[in-house]
Amino acid sequence: MDQSLFLGLVGLLALVLLIGIRVPIAYAMIVVGAVGTIALNGHAVFLNQLKTLGFSQFSKYDMSVIPMFVLMGYIATRAGLSQDLFRAANAWFGRMRGGVAMSAIAACAGFGAVCGSSLATATTMGQVALPELRRYRYSGALATGTLAAGGLLGILIPPSVVLVVYAIIVEANVVSMFAAALIPGLIAVAIFILVIAIYVRLVPDAGPAGDSISRAEWLSATFGVVPVLGIFIIVIGGIYVGLYNPTPAAAVGVALVALYGSLRRGVRLSDYRWALLETAKTSGMIYLILFGAELLKIFMSRGGVPQAAAEMMVNSGLSPMVILVLLLLALILLGCLMDSMSMILLVMPFFWPVVSELDFGMDPEDVKIWFGILSLIVVELGLITPPVGMNVFVINSLAKDVPMWQTFKGVFPFFLGELVRLALLVAFPAISLWLPHIVAG
Amino acid sequence: QEFTLKLHHFLGPKSPAQTQMLEPWAKSIEEASGGKVKIEIYPSMSLGGAPPELISQVRDGVVDLIWTVNGYTPGLFPRTEAFELPFIHTNDIKATNLAIRAMFDEHLAEEYKGVKVMFLHSHAGQAIQMVKDEVRKPADLAGKKMRIPTRTGAWVIEALGAAPAAMPVPDIPQAFSKGVVDGALIPWEIIPALKLQDQTEYQIEGHEMTRFGTTIFQVAMNLDKWNSLPEDVQKAFLDNSNEEWLAKAADIWRKIDDGGIKVATDAGNTHIQLTPEETEVFKTILEPVVDRWVTEVEGKGIDGATLVAKARELVAANQAK
Amino acid sequence: MGLRGLTYRLIETWALLGGIVILLVVAVQTISVVTGAFGRPLPGDFELTELGVAVGVFAFLPYCQLTDANVTADIFTSGLNRRNRAILVFFAAVIALIFAVVMAWRTWIGTQDQFAYDYQTAILQIPIGYAFIPIVISLVLVAVAAVMTLLESFDEIAHPSRNVSH
Ligand code: NA
Ligand code: NA
Repeated sequence: MDQSLFLGLVGLLALVLLIGIRVPIAYAMIVVGAVGTIALNGHAVFLNQLKTLGFSQFSKYDMSVIPMFVLMGYIATRAGLSQDLFRAANAWFGRMRGGVAMSAIAACAGFGAVCGSSLATATTMGQVALPELRRYRYSGALATGTLAAGGLLGILIPPSVVLVVYAIIVEANVVSMFAAALIPGLIAVAIFILVIAIYVRLVPDAGPAGDSISRAEWLSATFGVVPVLGIFIIVIGGIYVGLYNPTPAAAVGVALVALYGSLRRGVRLSDYRWALLETAKTSGMIYLILFGAELLKIFMSRGGVPQAAAEMMVNSGLSPMVILVLLLLALILLGCLMDSMSMILLVMPFFWPVVSELDFGMDPEDVKIWFGILSLIVVELGLITPPVGMNVFVINSLAKDVPMWQTFKGVFPFFLGELVRLALLVAFPAISLWLPHIVAG
Repeated sequence: QEFTLKLHHFLGPKSPAQTQMLEPWAKSIEEASGGKVKIEIYPSMSLGGAPPELISQVRDGVVDLIWTVNGYTPGLFPRTEAFELPFIHTNDIKATNLAIRAMFDEHLAEEYKGVKVMFLHSHAGQAIQMVKDEVRKPADLAGKKMRIPTRTGAWVIEALGAAPAAMPVPDIPQAFSKGVVDGALIPWEIIPALKLQDQTEYQIEGHEMTRFGTTIFQVAMNLDKWNSLPEDVQKAFLDNSNEEWLAKAADIWRKIDDGGIKVATDAGNTHIQLTPEETEVFKTILEPVVDRWVTEVEGKGIDGATLVAKARELVAANQAK
Repeated sequence: MGLRGLTYRLIETWALLGGIVILLVVAVQTISVVTGAFGRPLPGDFELTELGVAVGVFAFLPYCQLTDANVTADIFTSGLNRRNRAILVFFAAVIALIFAVVMAWRTWIGTQDQFAYDYQTAILQIPIGYAFIPIVISLVLVAVAAVMTLLESFDEIAHPSRNVSH
């Protein structure tokens, strides 16, 4: 076997082994990167590179958007947005059969428009919508399944921290990625609502209709989403029309959500303290993994692994489409074990060099965007598949009386819906690429 | 092969800098060494870190050779910075390259600690590229937002009455198309790679291709690595980084730059070359930038006035050749 | 409050300070957007963001170590008993400790280089070495946090039956 490929394989095995014995993913990458680089080029090279590498990786301007979008999401969870969104959505869908669950999906989409994280969306909307769903006697499976799936909209609808991380790793334009995610995200909303409609048709008891409301109540509830819509338009719309790049946009978003929170509900100092500490955990974790990914990249580059792997794939005789589907399948399987962010961070440095060598008859920049959206869908599926499905765990912990398997059962139809969406996006790249092309002018 | 050296840089593997300059340079050294030397080129920062770290990477022996932009590490090369000031480099890359070489040992060498400089070179120089504004005099830039290339480039923009905006080069097309900036101070060479011809209408430079300052690049080797090489191998490096090579490098960058402006004019852009009188107006208004720089480096104990005078003299002398 | 309690407080406060630095960056960016709308973006907003976020996020790392926020794939190990699990936690903490000590040491050497060679930012000419100093402190605190994890897991290995409270 080619020496470089052998080296890469050993590195990969070591990585899997370390992760398997519960070494944090970041440290597993750091260890393999460090040991590999030292083995190839000696310890002096490695130690000297460390003198500035910490600072240079943590000070990358492109990454500065991460702590800000994360902070924006956490402030949003305490700002009372979720109640307003759910109330408005419920005014629209509530009376239909399955309508309260559809409202929860719509509210999740609204929340996803200001929050870049799936777990935060699931948790926040879960706290608001779950009691309502139970009050209307929705089945445990449908109620918790809906919210576990709805949480996915946190990353499927921009802003999305996972997309930012993808863009950093493959050196894509974050603005294009955000633009590409919007239409597929809206399709996800439509499919989830459709899934609920079919579900309650097959199992009528699972989702009874809600109450009808007065016109005045309907109006006031609907107007409740205006501020949220406003924040989304200023932040994401501002990025699309080129008012500013993502970093200032995220900063403005933090400021606006904080302002909304203090006007709407009086976000207290203790809420900010909580939001900052949660931001510390989330962004510290992401930055450390990105640092580990850089060390791993250094090791692999010095060993010539990416070129060798890409060459092997290209020379394998498989068609680009087959390779693409195989890679996506591998991600779905990996998703059973890992969460979306770690997967993107761990796998993209290996997958992207391969994909970038494949010829889909498309502009290379378009392939980058398209593959990013496909990967985003696939990695977020990991959040709702057993045995490790973080969204399922989080929602299930909010509903103490629902057994875990019920939640997995309830989320399964949504999983099927996602597979349909994935097939659509694989078959029609234009769904993802149309808006980025408009935005790029 | 006895010596395998890693050359690390920040541009892509298909960039003209790699294919037209670094690869031929490496090849000529490999040949001159009779196959004793092999230079592996690592593009796109693939050996890790960010572009500003290239200089410490080579100094610390993380890599053996680098190609980098001096301006990525403001503060490290204050003397060489004289050549980036407006109207020191004018329109002749070769003259600038040779002037730097002539001044190197006596005036510049002390700021390249821990490395053996192979060669320093300029690109064609900063020109003005505008999204939709025609520029013939400094007043045309008043209040415009302009992307800056270097620290002193920011001073140029300020002196012209415009607002400087820092951004990475790859962000320029987006910034142009969305009106985040109205223009940029950047050479033609970048046009094809970023497809700037689609976003801009005007490309402006001074009389006879005179530019408004430039960027200085360096190719440098780790000093210990250099000292460990036998004399004949060192000679292979020196012989292929000499004045003759600097002239050739100048031709290469001129050609890349000419290719860039051709792409723009083919796309229907207006290429403005200012008249001598118009150029003179820019010269007058930008002279204080040079004074500002001289005053500033004086604070570091550097005789900026002498450096500027010497640089001007040598550029002129080499231009006459 | 014992030594552990005090250390926990210190690391939590350090993370909050990092969060405040991020808030300052948010302020710089927001002000720059507003003034930029009138044609005058804040000079140096770019470099202030880079320095601020680096300093801020490094200050988060000790807290991540302390609160076990660094993601693990628990799939193969969730079935283990407390003692065996504690052994794995101990092993991971050793790695974190080595990482933190080596990084603190190397970044400290890097700090000296930053000052010795006069590295500075382009527009505001801030010596970059100043940003390295809080980063070194953060890395030392990561080491401290790793030692705390180490001690806790060691307790559990030695006395698997006892309930360790934080
Ligand atoms: Na989102
Ligand atoms: Na899963």
